[in-house]
Amino acid sequence: MKEHLQETPPPRVILITGANGGLGRATSRAFLQESPANLIWLGVHTRREHADQLAQENPDRCFCATLDVTRPGSWKQAVAEILARHRRLDVLVNNAGSHEDALLATMTTDSWQRVLATNLDGVFHGCQAVLPTMISQRHGRIVNVASLSALLAPPGQANYAAAKAGVVALTSSLAKEVARIGITVNAICPGFVETGVLAVMGEEERKRALGIIPMRRFGRPEEIAAAVCFLACAGSGYITGSALKIDGGIF
Amino acid sequence: MNNSTELKVEIKRMMVENLMLKSGAEEIADDQPLFGPGSLGLDSVDALQLVVALDKNYGLKIPDPETARKTLQSVNTIAAALEAHAGK
Repeated sequence: MKEHLQETPPPRVILITGANGGLGRATSRAFLQESPANLIWLGVHTRREHADQLAQENPDRCFCATLDVTRPGSWKQAVAEILARHRRLDVLVNNAGSHEDALLATMTTDSWQRVLATNLDGVFHGCQAVLPTMISQRHGRIVNVASLSALLAPPGQANYAAAKAGVVALTSSLAKEVARIGITVNAICPGFVETGVLAVMGEEERKRALGIIPMRRFGRPEEIAAAVCFLACAGSGYITGSALKIDGGIF
Repeated sequence: MNNSTELKVEIKRMMVENLMLKSGAEEIADDQPLFGPGSLGLDSVDALQLVVALDKNYGLKIPDPETARKTLQSVNTIAAALEAHAGK
C-alpha cells in the first residue's frame, strides 16, 4: 500500500492563458497526456467553446477560469480561484495573444495599444499575479509564448513584433531576478504553425511562407506544445531566460 | 522571553529559512541593518522574498517600495510593523 502511494506523483497545477485557441488547446492536451497528476486551468476570455469542451471531457483535471489578461484584477481573481482549490500554482503558460497586422504608417493607435496590451501587458500582469505564490513555494515555471516575429520583425507587424520582442526581453530580465528562488522563466518563439491564424492565409501567401521554411512544412501545434511541456518539466530546471525558436529552421 | 523577543526570534528564523542565509538566526542582531554597508547583506530579491513571506505568514501587506524601505530596515522595524499590524 505504501509503495503504491509513493508511486503517485504530487499534483502539479498549471494555468494556460488563451486556452481556447489552437496552441492553447494543444498545450492543454500535452499537459494532460504528460502526467495524470497535472491539473490544468484553462484561461479563457471572449471565446471559450473549445476550452469548455476540454473541461467537460476531463472534469477532474481541467477547469475553466475567466481571464482577461489585460486586467490585473482579472488575474487576481483567477489566481485566487486556483489557490482556493489547490493551494498551489506550479506552472504559468502565458499563451494568450492577438494580432492586427497593418503597415505602421496606417496603423491606428488603438490597434497598436490593443496588441501591446494583450501580448505584452498581459504577460507582465500574469507574471506579477503568480510570482508571490511561486516565491512562497520557492518553485515555479513560467513559459511565455513569444513569436518568431520578435526576431524577424516582418513588415506589417510593428505592433505584434514589438510586443513579442518585449516578451523575450521581459522573460530574460525576470529570469535573472527569480533564478535563485527556484523559478524558471523561458520564452518560445514559434514560426508558422497550423492554427486558426494560418488557416486564414490565402493560398499564395501560404506558398510564399513555405518557401522560406527550410523544412518545407508548417509546424504542428503539438510540436509547439511539446516544447512548452519540456520547459515546464522538472528536468529543465537549469534552463532559464531562454527564447527557444521552433520554426522549422527559418532563423 | 516576552512576546516581542519571541517575535524577533521568529522573524530571524523566517529570514534564515526563506533567504537561505548562511548565518544562523542567533547571529542576527535585532538592530542590524538588513541592507547596505555593514549590514546583513540582503539585496532586492531578498527583500521581495521577505515581502512575500511577511504576507504569507502574518498577513502583513507591504504595498509599495517606500513602505518596504521603512519596514525592512532591521528585525526591530519588521517586528514593530508586525506588532502594529496585529494591534489593528
